[in-house]
Amino acid sequence: MSRAAPAIAVRDLRKNFGGFQAVRGISFDVAPGEIVGFLGPNGAGKTTTIKMITGLLAITSGSVEVNGLDNRRELPRVKRMLGYMSQKFSLYPLLTALENIEFFGGISGLAPHDLKAAMARMQEAVPAPVLRQKIQDVPPGIRQKVALFVCLLPDPGIILLDEPTSGVDPEARRGFWNEIYGLKTRGKTLLVSTHNLDEAEYCDRILIIHNGEIVSAGAPDDLLRREGKASIEELFEDAIRSHGQN
Amino acid sequence: MGRIKAIIVKEFLHILRDPRSLTMVFITPLVMIFILGYSVSYDLDRVDAAVIDHSQGRLSRQLVQSIAANGVFVLHGRGASLPLDRAEEMLRAGALRAIVVIPPGFDRRLAAGAAAEVGLVIDGSDVNVANLVQQYSERILLEFNAGLTAARGATGLPLRLDTKMYFNPEARSQFFFIPGLIAVIMLMISALLTSLSISRERESGSLALLFISPLRSGEIIVGKTVPYIIVALLDGAVILLFARFWFGIPLRGSLLVLLAFALLYIVAGLSLGILISTAAPTQRTAMLAALLITMLPSFLLSGFIFPLDSLSPVLRAVSYAIPATYFLRIIRGVVLKGAALRHFWFEGAMLLVLCAGLLAAATRKFGRQRKAAQ
Repeated sequence: MSRAAPAIAVRDLRKNFGGFQAVRGISFDVAPGEIVGFLGPNGAGKTTTIKMITGLLAITSGSVEVNGLDNRRELPRVKRMLGYMSQKFSLYPLLTALENIEFFGGISGLAPHDLKAAMARMQEAVPAPVLRQKIQDVPPGIRQKVALFVCLLPDPGIILLDEPTSGVDPEARRGFWNEIYGLKTRGKTLLVSTHNLDEAEYCDRILIIHNGEIVSAGAPDDLLRREGKASIEELFEDAIRSHGQN
Repeated sequence: MGRIKAIIVKEFLHILRDPRSLTMVFITPLVMIFILGYSVSYDLDRVDAAVIDHSQGRLSRQLVQSIAANGVFVLHGRGASLPLDRAEEMLRAGALRAIVVIPPGFDRRLAAGAAAEVGLVIDGSDVNVANLVQQYSERILLEFNAGLTAARGATGLPLRLDTKMYFNPEARSQFFFIPGLIAVIMLMISALLTSLSISRERESGSLALLFISPLRSGEIIVGKTVPYIIVALLDGAVILLFARFWFGIPLRGSLLVLLAFALLYIVAGLSLGILISTAAPTQRTAMLAALLITMLPSFLLSGFIFPLDSLSPVLRAVSYAIPATYFLRIIRGVVLKGAALRHFWFEGAMLLVLCAGLLAAATRKFGRQRKAAQ
């Protein structure tokens, strides 16, 4: 059986900020319909890598292909395939949740009836009075829900989530991962960065990144078995320690 | 003592490690001292004036020569060929600062040993310049009088000056300052609005979402500036109404003419704000930069406080690149002199050039920044 072409193919990707190497020649694939967890401590290079995939950061060297398209040569087409949720959720704090959705739907070029339908769907998931509050006044869990909803408005096939669960309570995190599973069942491809190691269990595969390099990659169970570790925490600490010694 | 020392050391480290603020703290006063202390004075190098000589006699020609020889007055018309209404039109358009009118019978009266009057019409819309023009004129007349009395051996002043201050007869300084302030405030508000709005979006991360959306850079700029054009126009209208009804500043010209130029001026200010936002990493820096870049030159180099004719040639050249230089003339002209569209071809063209240049630079820099990120 032939393997499907990767949804995301990253090859020898590097990013320098002046003399500092934030990403040091990493390569990985994300297969269509897969949930890949991008694990690493703060400053490891997760956000930089995701931003290079979206085209928000210039690539120093190496390449990124999205569904076979080079993201530097075909950026407008690549952008249409990607959904991106940033670390800070990046919603407009003085607008209500519904106004945020209306705005992002508008700039995505969503047809009015599609936008109306999307807003109705949001109202099913979150109580209407909450949706009419300014985003700055709603709990982080709701903000996260709205940010994910906004990211999905143009119906992208590939979704990049940068630390989507930071700052939200454990219950909201569980709910959020349920939604991510829902997306996977709808055929979406997901690359999710996190520094919460317990979230690795939700992923089909994980990439552990440290100091701009991928130090371990594979399905969580395979990695545990292969490395003889009892938990992801242990695996993670060991991978980082041994990388630090090299 | 040790605890206070810790705070002092920490504060110094903060000051030293914030080079942008440090630059502003040291560069701004130096620039101000340079402009104020070295290059700006209240002395005029040039006063554009017309002389209408209805007398056409020996003494009237001598007086005209004295005025021309003064070195400050640049005469645009001599003799009686320039009609007064044409000269007044030039005064309204800002092409002249003063009109000297020598009445018929001037020579005859002086020859008969009687006193004669010379009419002096001054543009009062710039009170500082008007006062200087009056002082210079009085000095010329004093010398001329001294010559006359010495030649005739007579006492008393054979020649008197009848001065009329047009557009601001009471020489109220509010007439001069408030329209100028409106110009400065509108530029400052426009630049501040966009620079803060964009840098706020950059800090919150929402600009990144706009960048990866299908929006083109031009669309983002248009979308972000249109609301602020309306806000800045409303702001200008509120200040103008306040000036009209609280300070009694007249509105003698057409509001539509003012609106048309204000639109260009605001777009120039908003574009400047976008340019600032592309260089400023934080909202705080953007705000400081917008205030400095708009207020300092507009106050000192646009003719708001110091007449342009008093600036050194270098600073005068700089003043041509400041949008407030042109809008100031327009707002003073429309509000105080009732000047019309036809009086502002040069100012309008320069505002258009500056507006187009700043907008093109802002769009290019913003687009480049987006591209650089890609």
